[in-house]
Amino acid sequence: MSSNRPTILICDDSLLVRKKMKDCLKEYGDFNIVEASTGQSSIELFKQYEPDLVFLDIVMPDKNGIEALKEMMAVKKDVKVIMLSSSGTKSHLKAAMDAGAHDFIQKPWEKSQIEHIIRNIF
Amino acid sequence: MFSQYFGNYLLNRGLIRPDQLTDALEYQRSMRLKLGVIAVNAGYMTPAQVEEIHNMQKKVDKRFGELAVEKGYITEQQLEEMLATQKQGHLMLGQALVDRGHLTIEQLQEALENYKKEYGMSSRQFNVVGKDDSLQIEQIFRDHGEALLGKLYSDYVTLLIKNLIRFVDDNPIVEINQFRSDITAQWFVSQEIYGKINMFTAIACDRDVFVKFAAKFAQEDITEPDELAQASVGEFLNLHNGIFLVNMSNNGVELEMNPQQVEQNRTLANPGKAYVVTCHMTWGRFDMILV
Repeated sequence: MSSNRPTILICDDSLLVRKKMKDCLKEYGDFNIVEASTGQSSIELFKQYEPDLVFLDIVMPDKNGIEALKEMMAVKKDVKVIMLSSSGTKSHLKAAMDAGAHDFIQKPWEKSQIEHIIRNIF
Repeated sequence: MFSQYFGNYLLNRGLIRPDQLTDALEYQRSMRLKLGVIAVNAGYMTPAQVEEIHNMQKKVDKRFGELAVEKGYITEQQLEEMLATQKQGHLMLGQALVDRGHLTIEQLQEALENYKKEYGMSSRQFNVVGKDDSLQIEQIFRDHGEALLGKLYSDYVTLLIKNLIRFVDDNPIVEINQFRSDITAQWFVSQEIYGKINMFTAIACDRDVFVKFAAKFAQEDITEPDELAQASVGEFLNLHNGIFLVNMSNNGVELEMNPQQVEQNRTLANPGKAYVVTCHMTWGRFDMILV
């Protein structure tokens, strides 16, 4: 894995979502992609890889995305975490923003949304 | 009998077999409603008069409505109403059953009359199948003692139809039934919603439909019920429930949901008050279970 390329951590329990996100990201740059399928493994991989950007689902096994976000922010306060969830309820939005999320994207996402984020961050 | 839908009514009365209903449902997706069926349903013409016009059409190059007006069976105004009904796709199932030879038009007429008499339903209510009409769907639940939950279930099923159209099929047809007996499915994808309202939602289907469902939603070449297929059907349910939660949130009701679960060969015992929304797609049929 090249250290020159930005690292993006995709956290979602759905293999399909991770695959689609990887396919999408490939169109906008050359990244090291790391995948996590549970809340707990998201945190462990976050600590291990120190990603430049995180896409984080909310509803995940063993630890939800909001809790995972708080733990990530405690490790690295300036990390860019994009919440990516089908359940963008008012309470989830508020909790995510209060915890320091950089942005919130409601699934299913549009490619242009991902492109916009990538262009802004990298 | 709970079913509001004509297809189930016919099945439960033994007037048609399940394979005939499936055949007619598939056929109806590609057809246009004939004025004769509309005329009989509206009570404007008898089956014999419709047959007479059909026979005339074999000899003269005129449209059904034109001939029916000429014969004095219907007025111009009634013809206009019938044409409007035709555009709305009413009575498609009835016509499909007749066209496919599963019912005669006389049998259809009798079944329609008995059905409406039994349920006190108007033509409009009767033709809810496949139409995205939340008020009609809500009425189905309200009519059967779900006054409090009627709106909730209605919103859920209406959104389900929208999402089916949006993601996996252009023309889904849904039937809503009470959960009456244990359900065993080869593939069972479930997700719990909790908070002020608790719901158990699940998609139950056989292997073939599971794979097709997965391929449609993922827009990938999926031919086996592998991990990607499971993720795909699971994500559809997750996505649908997520949007439902957002809608509820916008109405001031905050709900949460657990991660979806995919299981094989599961039997769900009759939980009491629950519904089975059977979704007829162009590529197969599955059940959405709401508890």
